[in-house]
Amino acid sequence: MSQVRVLGELAVLDDVGPARRGRAYPAAGATSALLLPAAVLLGGLVLWPVLRTMHASVTTDGRWVGAAHFRTALAAPGTGAVVGRTILWALLVPAVVTALGYLLAAASRRSQEGGLVRLILLVPVALPLVVTGVTFRLMYDPDPSRGLATLVATRLTGRSVEDAPQLLGPGTVTVALMSAFVWAWVGLAVLVFRSALDAVPPSLADAVRAYGGGRRHVLWDAQWRPLLLRTTAVVFALVAVGTSRTFDLILVMTPGSVRDEASVLALRIWQTSGGTTTGDGAALGVVWLVAVIGGIMVAALFVRQAWPPPRVEAAAEPAPAAPPRRVFRLLAAGAAIAWLVPMAVLVATSAHGRVDAAARGWWSTAPNVESYRNLVTGTELWRTLGFTLLLATAVTATVLVVALLAAYPLAWLTGPAAQATGLLLLAASVVPIQVIAGPVNEVLGLVLSSGTAQGLALVHIALGVPFAVLVLRNAFADLPVEQVRDARLGGRRWWHTLRRLARHNLSAVVAVSVLEFVQVWNDLVVGRLFSASGASPLGPFLAEQTRSFVSNSGALAASSVLASVLPVVLVVLSRRHLVAGLVSGGVR
Amino acid sequence: MRPPVRARRRTLLRAAAAGAAALAAGCSGGSRSVQVAVVWSTSELDRFREVVAGYPGRVQVVSAGNDIDAFLRARHLAGTSPDVAILPRPGLVTEYAQRGWLSPVRASTEYAVPAGLGELLTAEGQRYGVWVKAAHKSLVWHLPSMLPVQPADWDALVRRTQELAALAQRDGGPAPLAIGAADGWVLTDWFENVLADVAPESYNALARPDADWQGRPVRDALDRLAGLWSINGAFVGGGRRALLTQYEESVIQVVHTKRAVMLVGADFTADVADPFQRGPEAPVTFRFPGTQPGGGPLIVGGDAAVAFADARGGVELVEWLTRADSFQPWLRAGGYLSPNTNVTIGSYRDAVSQRLAEEMRTPRTLRFDLSDQLPGAFTGSDGVGIWRIMQGFFADVTDGVRASEAIRRATGLLAAAARSAGGGR
Repeated sequence: MSQVRVLGELAVLDDVGPARRGRAYPAAGATSALLLPAAVLLGGLVLWPVLRTMHASVTTDGRWVGAAHFRTALAAPGTGAVVGRTILWALLVPAVVTALGYLLAAASRRSQEGGLVRLILLVPVALPLVVTGVTFRLMYDPDPSRGLATLVATRLTGRSVEDAPQLLGPGTVTVALMSAFVWAWVGLAVLVFRSALDAVPPSLADAVRAYGGGRRHVLWDAQWRPLLLRTTAVVFALVAVGTSRTFDLILVMTPGSVRDEASVLALRIWQTSGGTTTGDGAALGVVWLVAVIGGIMVAALFVRQAWPPPRVEAAAEPAPAAPPRRVFRLLAAGAAIAWLVPMAVLVATSAHGRVDAAARGWWSTAPNVESYRNLVTGTELWRTLGFTLLLATAVTATVLVVALLAAYPLAWLTGPAAQATGLLLLAASVVPIQVIAGPVNEVLGLVLSSGTAQGLALVHIALGVPFAVLVLRNAFADLPVEQVRDARLGGRRWWHTLRRLARHNLSAVVAVSVLEFVQVWNDLVVGRLFSASGASPLGPFLAEQTRSFVSNSGALAASSVLASVLPVVLVVLSRRHLVAGLVSGGVR
Repeated sequence: MRPPVRARRRTLLRAAAAGAAALAAGCSGGSRSVQVAVVWSTSELDRFREVVAGYPGRVQVVSAGNDIDAFLRARHLAGTSPDVAILPRPGLVTEYAQRGWLSPVRASTEYAVPAGLGELLTAEGQRYGVWVKAAHKSLVWHLPSMLPVQPADWDALVRRTQELAALAQRDGGPAPLAIGAADGWVLTDWFENVLADVAPESYNALARPDADWQGRPVRDALDRLAGLWSINGAFVGGGRRALLTQYEESVIQVVHTKRAVMLVGADFTADVADPFQRGPEAPVTFRFPGTQPGGGPLIVGGDAAVAFADARGGVELVEWLTRADSFQPWLRAGGYLSPNTNVTIGSYRDAVSQRLAEEMRTPRTLRFDLSDQLPGAFTGSDGVGIWRIMQGFFADVTDGVRASEAIRRATGLLAAAARSAGGGR
């Protein structure tokens, strides 16, 4: 690529980037065998269960029944509302997260406090969604003498304490859930937008200005068209897929009486089928699966790019540019403070004993360490943390090995074959586990007993592999020709080459490891569906305690805080690798 | 070169297999133990572990969490059913038995339960389960200082509620009732108590497949409930607030914050009340009031033990659980009511549980928890089945919908839910 950038060039980069990795290095036949572990896992625990679910949706005990299950499932009372609410989640929440993410990324750039703001926004990303749910249920507690948000709403509306607005009531429960979700996800959008904004060469904006363009034109021609359109699509798709995780929030935040008013497809399928396969549940699952995979394919069309991906010149150190306007900086600071409040509520509640936390607000009594002392001196939390640590470590290590092995041969593919594998991996990584839980249980029963720790780990591994392969494959393919050549010449065997290449891709490896570890650590639904006997992972352990929320809130808040330390530390420490690893691979 | 390589591979494979076997053995603890899946968690789980510690063989207790039905269905599919399970609903026992999952069980000679309970656990003339734990569900809890005179019958309860509600609205005193309407089972327990009183003869018929959910008994029971629930100011914070109140919070409202006077709850309410008790005053109970002083039939719930087909040692363990002295550790610790009438009253820890145990032995007045006998999803869970329908009814009557209209809606939904669960007319 030429060194002189002119306006418009970046905009067409996507389609005409010169191939830069040697196609002179086709995959050797033997390396295809490296795909085997990944193929077996995905075939057995994702592909077959998907096919089995489709089969179950049109049969009863093996007999063809056509669309009967679909008719029953869709005609069941409330299904229309459930589908509508699921769509609302998948459209409204990503739109809000994307818009907020862009605004805050732009507002926190190039200012002194910007780094701190982004750090604060990042913490909720790392929290288990169960903990987010606990946090917001504490905030929205219907009693204004305990729930901070209810107290504020009571004051604002000027109502009496006895007539306090019910934020978790049937009318507003979905809004309450969405607010928790947005709180948890905006940090991720900020992270991605920030790296996209940094990748836009400032010279482009200068060029626009030189042609007499105003602020609006700079935004449009120097930011939106070349880069942000795609980033927006990526963030939107990411969050839309993420909304299938609302399951965790609904389970933790909604009392039984409003669960119907909050229900989405994920919950409905779980209520219909649990960990087994039923015709009605399978029919709903197929509907959902088609929607998710269709949506992600449309998003993929938006973000498609030349394969192998074109090289982006290392941007020159950006010239010291002016920080954003004062009003934007204030916006960023305000957001940071607003984002801190729920965390403060969680910590403050955890600093109260059982009776104090249940009977009055955390602001009305002095803090103590009773809840922590009871937890730390008991054995149950330690057993759970130890088991989850072991599980997450074992799963991460296995996923990394399997994905590295598979990514290596896949990175050499070109043309339609490369695109097809990319789309397949993308589709496999968004399959919701609730849809295939029944068949997965059957497979586990065949290979080893389900309801064992090994079975649970296997499901986690199978669910983690597609995304890991995708990121690592893209990272391998991104490597400059010289590095690949050196590695090939220097390595005597393929695994030497693989090791050398992996070393060049440290960011991607770190990103995959951290994300997988945090994913398993924070999980609720897989643990709930496939939990081992005897040992319970963290997510189900916390969710189980929410069955009697108020009388347990002190201990629940304290165990939530303790459960969040490790993922938060990991994500915060590795945040640069996360961005670099994902941007060079999965996201871009 | 070849043979050594192959041999090494084989050794590796063997080592791996041995490792896996060792791991599996490690999980089950050496020689094979009898595996029991239970619904209990935390302190109840610990108590049950103390109970089975007295069994001559090794027993592994697994907590299946909230939804033991989903747990067992998944385990069955995978072919890894436990040997024994303690099921929270008799409906599950007959359902599993009809599917052929269970093995018939024996009871020890010391096992005797009140009339009507044993039949709930039989299918096609065979006994498939035994009762191991009972719950007394016809109690009203209050602090003695908050309610000096206990209402003797239903009309007295309604009058007392009206007086207290008027007082609460005038001078901001405590509300007459606390109710954890966010938990559907709280409402079904109310409904069952009233239903057993207005139509003691028709009660059991509603659990049968040809139940008439739009008939007179159900409408009368709902009408009586509507009369009390619709009293303005009956509940702490009103109906909408009550629907967001979980059962344990409603206990706190009575025994700790004293924002309500009375609470309908089972014997296990004591487990929550104890840690939240303020000062020396402990809550007391009276029988859920009926038309006649002394209350109507007693509603009981219970947990049943079953043994799975091709279980090893399951039938023996179930038989052992029916002996009169098996649950001694739990009786001593408190918070346990035995369904076994051969357990001596003297072995209960305190006077209150002794009285409850006595009441459960009064002949011909027991009715088993109806919602626990209902088929399929109708039995209820959060947002599903009869739990959801009763919550809708509660929301209607506390929100000013006319009783007749609310009853029409509720009975329609009940009948539809019964039909789609494979029962009802």
